[in-house]
Amino acid sequence: MARTVAMFTDVSLCIGCRACQVACKQWNQLPAEEPEWTGTYQNHANFTDKSYRLVRFFEQKDDKGGLQWNLMSDVCKHCAEAGCLEACPTGAIYRTQYGTVNINQDICNGCRYCVSACPFGVVAFNHDTGRASKCTFCNDRLHNGLGPACAKACPTESIQFGFRDELAAKARKRVEELKKMGYKNAQLYGEDQNGPLGGLNAFFLLLDKPSGYGLPVKPRLPQNNVFVDSLLSIGSALLVGIGAIVAFRERGGKE
Amino acid sequence: MPLLQSADWPLLIDLYFFLAGLAGGAFVIAAIADLLGGERNRSVVRVGYYLALLAVIPCPIFLIVDLGVPSRFLHMLMSLKPDQAIGAAAINIGQFHIKPFSPMNMGAWALLGFSALAFLAALSVFLEDAKRGRDLSAFRATVGIIGGFFGFFLAAYPGVLLGATARPLFQNGSFLGALFLAVGASSGAAAIALILSFLGQGAGGTLGQLRQIIIPALLLQAATLALFLLRVGMSGGEGAAQSLALLLSGPYSLIFWVGAVAVGLVVPFVLQIVTRQPGLVAISAVLILVGGFLVKYVIIAAGQVVLS
Repeated sequence: MARTVAMFTDVSLCIGCRACQVACKQWNQLPAEEPEWTGTYQNHANFTDKSYRLVRFFEQKDDKGGLQWNLMSDVCKHCAEAGCLEACPTGAIYRTQYGTVNINQDICNGCRYCVSACPFGVVAFNHDTGRASKCTFCNDRLHNGLGPACAKACPTESIQFGFRDELAAKARKRVEELKKMGYKNAQLYGEDQNGPLGGLNAFFLLLDKPSGYGLPVKPRLPQNNVFVDSLLSIGSALLVGIGAIVAFRERGGKE
Repeated sequence: MPLLQSADWPLLIDLYFFLAGLAGGAFVIAAIADLLGGERNRSVVRVGYYLALLAVIPCPIFLIVDLGVPSRFLHMLMSLKPDQAIGAAAINIGQFHIKPFSPMNMGAWALLGFSALAFLAALSVFLEDAKRGRDLSAFRATVGIIGGFFGFFLAAYPGVLLGATARPLFQNGSFLGALFLAVGASSGAAAIALILSFLGQGAGGTLGQLRQIIIPALLLQAATLALFLLRVGMSGGEGAAQSLALLLSGPYSLIFWVGAVAVGLVVPFVLQIVTRQPGLVAISAVLILVGGFLVKYVIIAAGQVVLS
């Protein structure tokens, strides 16, 4: 396996220009969609089968009661322990040699299990092709030594591409700088490889707590439930089995 | 709260989950009745095994029709690229793959195995009935024991499958697999009882034996349903309270309380206890089947609503 690559999205540098969203559409040849009125500058409300990058605009009250505008360019997190990949019954979703998570469109049969299994609501179902789709980390560009189109297009270097270990070190330094500058809520999301989901290969620097950006505080790998749920099912099966044996047992004497 | 997406599985999948549970339950009951006295329990064995086969036949069709690309149904079992990294504990055997932590993959294998065993069991009953004196009980005992495990698996795995998603109602419940298995047992037993009473073969205490399965199965169904709701309610998971409210007091509450709980669970349970009158017992069996379907349908429908 090649060295793991990553995307680092630093929301403190994001100006909400959505160049990343446009570059993603262009490079991946994703068709236009009907705009949605979401009440903010954000379009669409969530990832779709034709929008893999999405700049989110959260309007919230700050500590003094004024307006706080949380901007965040959101993307597939390419989790180290990925719910979609583990759920996929066909093997269409696989881990690339770069550590990213990709859906092989030639294998996917459109069962939609991954759509329900993603803890971040990233994977979307494409009704035109009948397959699941999401950010590919610009897999074709990676194979040619280029970073993803969104990072290339970002005018403020809010989205950065690089090797994961180097980017993580950079991110930790940046968070210290921001804290010194007075952003006391500045924090990294998904950078810790010992944290939830084994770390995210697209990680973020946030200026507010994760819930301020619509991110789950502690995302869980859905497949962690399989063991306990199965044990409880076996318990249920034992009770049913015993019940049936009692019902049909030989009852002394002839019938 | 994160905006999650939903697979939006349609009614066809609910029907599959119901039929798979019924088939698994009927098979297990027939197998146990067969092992503990095949001659004595002949009518239950015959109806149970035939019913298991008939109920499982439409299942793969429903599943294939629901796929985005139905012609690729074999991809559930076969890999075109067996060298790809496709999951934590994935096992590749030649062109085939087994993913123990993907309940959908395991379920596809279980459906395949169960279908074959249900066919063999029904065939052996048929061959015995066709020629007097032919004895295939040793063969059917093997098929029954192996198929019984498959039957349990087929009834329970849809619940485990739902539990292994990020949908707040499913993810925090833990007891969905146990509940679905109990529903499979109650609906399998009720369907056998219903068919036997239609055929006029309920004599000789057979319906009484089935009642001895139905009553504890309904109790188990009620207990696992209560534990499921309790687990979701106490999980404190993001979105759990919101989706639980959809089920208990929101748009799905009528189907849940009236359909799945009152008409589909409490009324048939009381009927089973208080009466042995054939007509009422048959009505009770019908209500158990309706309730078994509705409880799965309503949980899946409420859990798939996208929260904002």
